Amino acid sequence: MTTAATDISLAELIKARCPGAVTGAGEFRGETTLTTTPENLHRLLSTLKTDLGFNYLADIAGADYPGRSKRFEVNYQVSSIPANRSVRVKVSVGEDEPLPTATDVWKTANWHEREIFDLFGVRFSGHPDLRRILCPDFWTGHPLRKDFPLDGEEVAFTHNQDSIKPQEAIWKKGLGKAEYALEQGTADVGEETTMVINMGPQHPSTHGVLRLVLQLDGETVLRTIPHIGYLHTGIEKTAENLTWQQAVVVTDRMDYLSPPTNNLAYALAVEKLMGIEIPERAQDIRVLIAELTRLASHLIALGTHAMELGAMSVFFYCWRDRELILDIMDFLSGVRMMTSFINIGGVRADLPDGFHKKVQDFLDVFPASVDEYDGLLTNNRIWEKRTLGVSVITPEEALDYALSGPNIRGSGIKWDLRKDRPYLTYPKYSFDVPVGKTGDVYDRYLVRLEEMRQSREICVQALKQISPRGEFRTADRKISPPPKEELERNMEALIHHFLLYTRGFQPPEGEVYSAIESARGELGIYLVSDGSNKPYRMHVRAPSFVSLQILPALCEGGLVADVIAAIGSLDPVMGEVDR
Amino acid sequence: MNVTLDQLVGHGIILTSVEDVLQWGRKSAIWPMIFGLACCAIEMMGMVAPRFDVARFGAEVFRGTPRQSDLIIIAGRLSVKMAPVLRRLYEQMPEPKWVLAMGACASCGGVFNNYAIVQGADKVVPVDIYVPGCPPSPDAVIFGLMELQKKIQAQRPLSQPVA
Ligand code: SF4
Repeated sequence: MTTAATDISLAELIKARCPGAVTGAGEFRGETTLTTTPENLHRLLSTLKTDLGFNYLADIAGADYPGRSKRFEVNYQVSSIPANRSVRVKVSVGEDEPLPTATDVWKTANWHEREIFDLFGVRFSGHPDLRRILCPDFWTGHPLRKDFPLDGEEVAFTHNQDSIKPQEAIWKKGLGKAEYALEQGTADVGEETTMVINMGPQHPSTHGVLRLVLQLDGETVLRTIPHIGYLHTGIEKTAENLTWQQAVVVTDRMDYLSPPTNNLAYALAVEKLMGIEIPERAQDIRVLIAELTRLASHLIALGTHAMELGAMSVFFYCWRDRELILDIMDFLSGVRMMTSFINIGGVRADLPDGFHKKVQDFLDVFPASVDEYDGLLTNNRIWEKRTLGVSVITPEEALDYALSGPNIRGSGIKWDLRKDRPYLTYPKYSFDVPVGKTGDVYDRYLVRLEEMRQSREICVQALKQISPRGEFRTADRKISPPPKEELERNMEALIHHFLLYTRGFQPPEGEVYSAIESARGELGIYLVSDGSNKPYRMHVRAPSFVSLQILPALCEGGLVADVIAAIGSLDPVMGEVDR
Repeated sequence: MNVTLDQLVGHGIILTSVEDVLQWGRKSAIWPMIFGLACCAIEMMGMVAPRFDVARFGAEVFRGTPRQSDLIIIAGRLSVKMAPVLRRLYEQMPEPKWVLAMGACASCGGVFNNYAIVQGADKVVPVDIYVPGCPPSPDAVIFGLMELQKKIQAQRPLSQPVA
């Protein structure tokens, strides 16, 4: 990360390049924020991209402040990949005021803007396709506005059964709509030689509840229109209604192939906001868990991808190894998947006895397994035919769509947050970042395969670092509860304990964006604190949400069968896409 | 020929009712639909994988279309956007059909009592078996499946047809 001094000069530089556009510059926890106005926004963003090399729009996050004269705030998290620096551009906008779209600057802005339109009701003028994206068409209102209630349904008892507002009234509006839902967004479809088919949301190969509307000419795909949101869970809104520590639990449920990495991303963001450091041993444990999780996640990605292209046995083998990792998680936390083991301030408990041996046993057998997959697929002629040269992503496209993780590295761009914006104790460990050459499905497969080997290397090194007993969370009693023994002897400990469990802690006011390299790429968390015990705003930059956007570009012009290959190679998790 | 019941049984002949055989057949070859919603679907896939191997219970033939399935495992949280789709899928399944709600979300909304999630799949389709957990481990789902098998065996479609 760049130092504060160069960032300030960066703000000066931007001001000089784009006179009059920047109305304010701020600095918090090493992040630079530039404020601008709706009129100057587009000019500023274009200058950032074309003159200053900010070629990567990581995220756009909205926020609602009903008390202000311009109630909405839209934050653009812009990075420059070659120079490895980033700034946040912030603009305030009123309820009936449109913002200029950024889709002509970075293609990736498209879905972000639709999301903000859907959840906040901010309009973007010039956007090519401004429709709801996560909420259904029959929805009314914008759920992330602060005056929109959390809703849900009360549990019925005799005293309240008459006053309950049934949710049924909402979803029943959608009944019978499925027929003409096919036509949404396909207005100019309908030439006689083509055929429109609907794929999903219940489909074995769409990795969950993704729905695609495909327009075909014979076997060739002419148009692809993705519809997402079938798993929209309101995770951001739910988190804003829980205390900081409680919200860890809902993060598990986003990217459900690698729950602990979600915990990690969130915990790191809160720790950055509060400016706390955690003990080195706890960081090493986090690294180990994060890498084991990456393995578990890549195993599913590989297994399902191979199964969808016809290699069923790979799926079974992958699952065999994944079970070993789940066993480790179970041993560690008592749960196979949703561990919530990494939380704010460290990890939840110390390692159980026998943990090292269990992990070591797995690490010992794992290399042979990777070789096995390698042997089954890499030179397999069917696999090559299905993947080589299919769904090529050029480096320019990858940047334009702000891909991350194995998807951007498959296109030859060496961008890995573990190396480029190091967090935890990653700099201590030696590992390689594999990259592809052509950016096709095959390359993304190879990158994931090699990443598994590298992750195992990290695990081996981390396991050696971690002593069986030691510190596993910060000693700061404002954040982590005192141990039981202390409670019995120390009045102050009792008070801390009471406050932590009744009210939680209160980070200082401010906002941060913090990202980690999850199994699918840049998993970023944008947090706003108003100084209370709950997040004022929690926004997730979900790598799958971003990468899925490139799908139409990959499918169009190709064959129907390659759609499956393309989806599998992007490795989306719908829980994270829809949140 | 004068044969007693005892003699018949002694020759490996079993007496039963048509209904029992019918239900035995139904319960021993449940074809679930491939229908994964969220995190729970991953554990459902785990149930098919070698370690838990649901084939031991005759329920491994997952079908891609509702028209060939007789069990729908609602594996995950059901969003307001998905609810009409679920109803439609359920209606497309031929009788007899059963529904298993897997996990806290499908049973009651789980940790997400909010605007986006339907508070229990039973608001949308009738549920036969609820499996608790977040996510339930594959063995818990298999247990749910065995409970469903008991339920199926006990059903009397010929003598007491359901309306
Ligand atoms: S019950 Fe838990 S694991 Fe299952 S879908 Fe709900 S949140 Fe996910």
